[in-house]
Amino acid sequence: VTQSTLPTVFIVDDDPAVRKALSRVLRAEDWDIESLESAEAFLAHGKRTGTGCLVLDVTMPGIDGFALQRRLAEEGRAMPIVFLTGHGDIPMSVQAMKHGAVDFLTKPVNGQALLRAVRAALALDASTRQARTEMADLEGRLASLTPREREVLSAVMRGKRNKQIADDLGIVEQTVKFHRARIMERMRVHTLAELMHVAIRLGVESQPGDASRT
Amino acid sequence: MHALPAAFAVALTLLPSLAGATEGVLIVHSNQRITPAGVVIENTIRSAVPSALARPVEIFSEYLDTEWASTEALAGLQAEYVRQKYLARDIRVIVVSGPQALRFTARHRDAMLPGVPVVHVAVPKDELEGANYASDIVGRPLDIDPAPTLELARHVHPDATRLVVVLGAGERDRIWEERIRRATQRLAGLDVEYFKNLPTAEIVRRLGSLEKNTIVFTPGYFVDGAGVLRTPRQAVEVLASASAAPVYVPLDTFIGTGAVGGFVTPYEAQSREGADIVVKLLNGTLPSTIPAAPAVPTPMVDWRAVRRFGIDERRLPSDAVIRFREPTAWDKYGWEIAAGAAIVLLQAVLILALLMQRRSGRHMATELEASQARMTLAARAVRLSSWIWDVARDRIEVTQGAGRHGARAEDPPMTLPEVLAMAHPADRTRVARAVADAVDSNTELDIEYRIQRRSGEVRWLAVRGRTEKDAPQRMMGVTLDITERKSAELQAERDRAALTHMTRVSMMGQLSASIAHQLNQPLAAILGNAEAARKMLDHERLDLAELKDICDDIVTEDNRAAEVIRRLGALYKRGEMTFAPLDLNDLVRETLDLVRTELMTRHVVAVTELDDALPVVDGGRVQLQQVLLNLILNAADAMERTAPDERTVTIRTEVDGTRVQLCIVDRGTGIAPDAIKHVFDAFWSTKTGGMGIGLAICHSIITAHRGCLTVSNNPDGGATFCAGWPVRQAA
Repeated sequence: VTQSTLPTVFIVDDDPAVRKALSRVLRAEDWDIESLESAEAFLAHGKRTGTGCLVLDVTMPGIDGFALQRRLAEEGRAMPIVFLTGHGDIPMSVQAMKHGAVDFLTKPVNGQALLRAVRAALALDASTRQARTEMADLEGRLASLTPREREVLSAVMRGKRNKQIADDLGIVEQTVKFHRARIMERMRVHTLAELMHVAIRLGVESQPGDASRT
Repeated sequence: MHALPAAFAVALTLLPSLAGATEGVLIVHSNQRITPAGVVIENTIRSAVPSALARPVEIFSEYLDTEWASTEALAGLQAEYVRQKYLARDIRVIVVSGPQALRFTARHRDAMLPGVPVVHVAVPKDELEGANYASDIVGRPLDIDPAPTLELARHVHPDATRLVVVLGAGERDRIWEERIRRATQRLAGLDVEYFKNLPTAEIVRRLGSLEKNTIVFTPGYFVDGAGVLRTPRQAVEVLASASAAPVYVPLDTFIGTGAVGGFVTPYEAQSREGADIVVKLLNGTLPSTIPAAPAVPTPMVDWRAVRRFGIDERRLPSDAVIRFREPTAWDKYGWEIAAGAAIVLLQAVLILALLMQRRSGRHMATELEASQARMTLAARAVRLSSWIWDVARDRIEVTQGAGRHGARAEDPPMTLPEVLAMAHPADRTRVARAVADAVDSNTELDIEYRIQRRSGEVRWLAVRGRTEKDAPQRMMGVTLDITERKSAELQAERDRAALTHMTRVSMMGQLSASIAHQLNQPLAAILGNAEAARKMLDHERLDLAELKDICDDIVTEDNRAAEVIRRLGALYKRGEMTFAPLDLNDLVRETLDLVRTELMTRHVVAVTELDDALPVVDGGRVQLQQVLLNLILNAADAMERTAPDERTVTIRTEVDGTRVQLCIVDRGTGIAPDAIKHVFDAFWSTKTGGMGIGLAICHSIITAHRGCLTVSNNPDGGATFCAGWPVRQAA
């Protein structure tokens, strides 16, 4: 594992003593620790779009924990958040969890619990990142299809036979077969089932250009 | 086709609720909801029945509004409405108020609530005569025969030659007219004239020009000749205030409208008897065994009307109930007047006695003795004694005894050391110093102190004395036993301290989240550090420098937590205010620490403008902190509707000569002009759920600092509270 791929754990808390103690607890792990005194400092941080997670205090001057959570959600690339609070009540934790927090811990927090929550947050981050990469790859493959191939793919998705497709598109059946072979190749799949699976993930059925010409 | 199963389904759903239903009483009123008689009947039944019955009972009410809505078809609908409405209720008794309700219920009961016994209230005797009601319709009839009232009027105004009867234009008025005609037949020597079916304005005009030899009788009316609807009491009110002649009335609720009076049966007593019958029926008494003698009306007059028409009090019946009689000054303040007179007397006697003291004639002495005897009585009453102290010879002659608690008149002269010896040890030095000061500087002696009696009983004395101008070696004065007053004062002070404490603790309750946060921060740091250290100890190579640093951090954070607890402890502690020198700026910072989280969650930013040149000031630390907390939290409350980025509370300290000033400025909605003079009143609050105690307590705390708490609205929005008090509090 090289230095650049280490995930970053951001500790954001306005209390320096708490920040220091928390980073001591988390330091033993194989993570980069960034200890910040405010949400504003986090938003200005260069590494905030990289891999990692947030250990976030709820009550802070300026932008508080919940406001930061909202802001990150609006940006669409939310880093998983573990909330910490000095006075947690149930409505607060419900609010946090509803908006996608990984955990909501009350101070003083047990080291094991914190480590567990941070690990879960990092795992979540990794899996969402992986899913995002895969999706980008699949989208790339779909984009490499010609318009005609997209038409054929849509027709296949709707369960039409080659003959029907040929009639619909006004081409010979042999050409349809040729398109299908190209589609399989470009989408890097080997069976019709695989193709269907990938196309569904990409939401091909609802793609424009899918309109039937009958 | 579908009606049957539907009805069956309804019955099914209702059955369980009926089985478990509480016994019910239904009150059916003849008239609209707001007639005074109806209200009295309603209230009395609703309070008397449940309190006499040892089990739960439900009471329902229906108003038939017959005074303006009375048709056959409507009555049928009303009966059906009642039937449907109370299907699931277990109505055991119906109370009817007034004759129309009785007629309605008697007629429709079988369709409405078959077999339920009826108790009638406020139904006139003549309504019942002739009507053949079932034996389970019971009650005490109301005797509203106008004859006794008319005879009373006749007796009170022997010179009257004319009777004016005022009636309205409804069914009720026709019944009354019959009654009145029957009664006036027996009344000789009076010209009777009826004002009926007239608009109220016309009646008012005619009544206003009546001559002195006239008397007016009216049962009030619902509807006048112009078709305007009132309650009969409202009608009587209008008539009585307009009438130039005395107005007599036959109903209880009309007394107080301006009418002179009449023979009436109080509705409350009526309803109470009705309630008794209801309870009997609920407890299983058979309706037929309940007696039905009419209640006997009592003469009742309104004292103000009696005075207005110059009626001779002696002509009123001896058993008349006189209402609205203003007590005389003596009735109201008799004791105070007597006490005042006694004090005037006492002062006169005292002056006389002192004059006597300076002469020594035998003749005077005899008179002095007599006046002294009188004074003894007065002095005993207020526990006062007077004395003359010959300073040079140290002889204190107590001229009179201070009742049971002071020296008696016959006591031999005392000396100052003897007087001091009687003083409570804790007060002795103070008394000695005050006396010496007064003698040395020729000023007045004015001191309150405690004496301890041999029995151990402690009493408070107030002593006032003055050296004589021409004889500075003599001081004379009075001593007053003020134990009762003093203990009341002390109790009031203790109560105030308790209330202050209670308010403070409840405010701390509001801050619990903030306090938890304040404590949890250091605890979080301590726990984190300790866990990190333990983990480090598992490693083979120890980083001793880091371990030492961790330990230092733990100690620091532990101290921080301890400091939080120490400060909180002071705020939670109960105790009287003690003045001590303090740094007000420090106190502001400490208080802001306490509310930091609270303000943060409410998005309020605290700004301080603290005067560095502030001297050390005397003050009750905890109580001033309470004032600060209260004003800061109030400021935050006031800004609930302010835009979050404008919620700023400014805390300012400044010194102005010998006064220190503490101001809290918010940017909220400010205080309404008509509210501003009430903000420091106890139990006055604009907040929902506010007790209205906080600011009153703040005010009393600042007052105890010999200062004042003021409030003003800022020109640019929001309010400013300023507390100012002297830097030095006198020892």
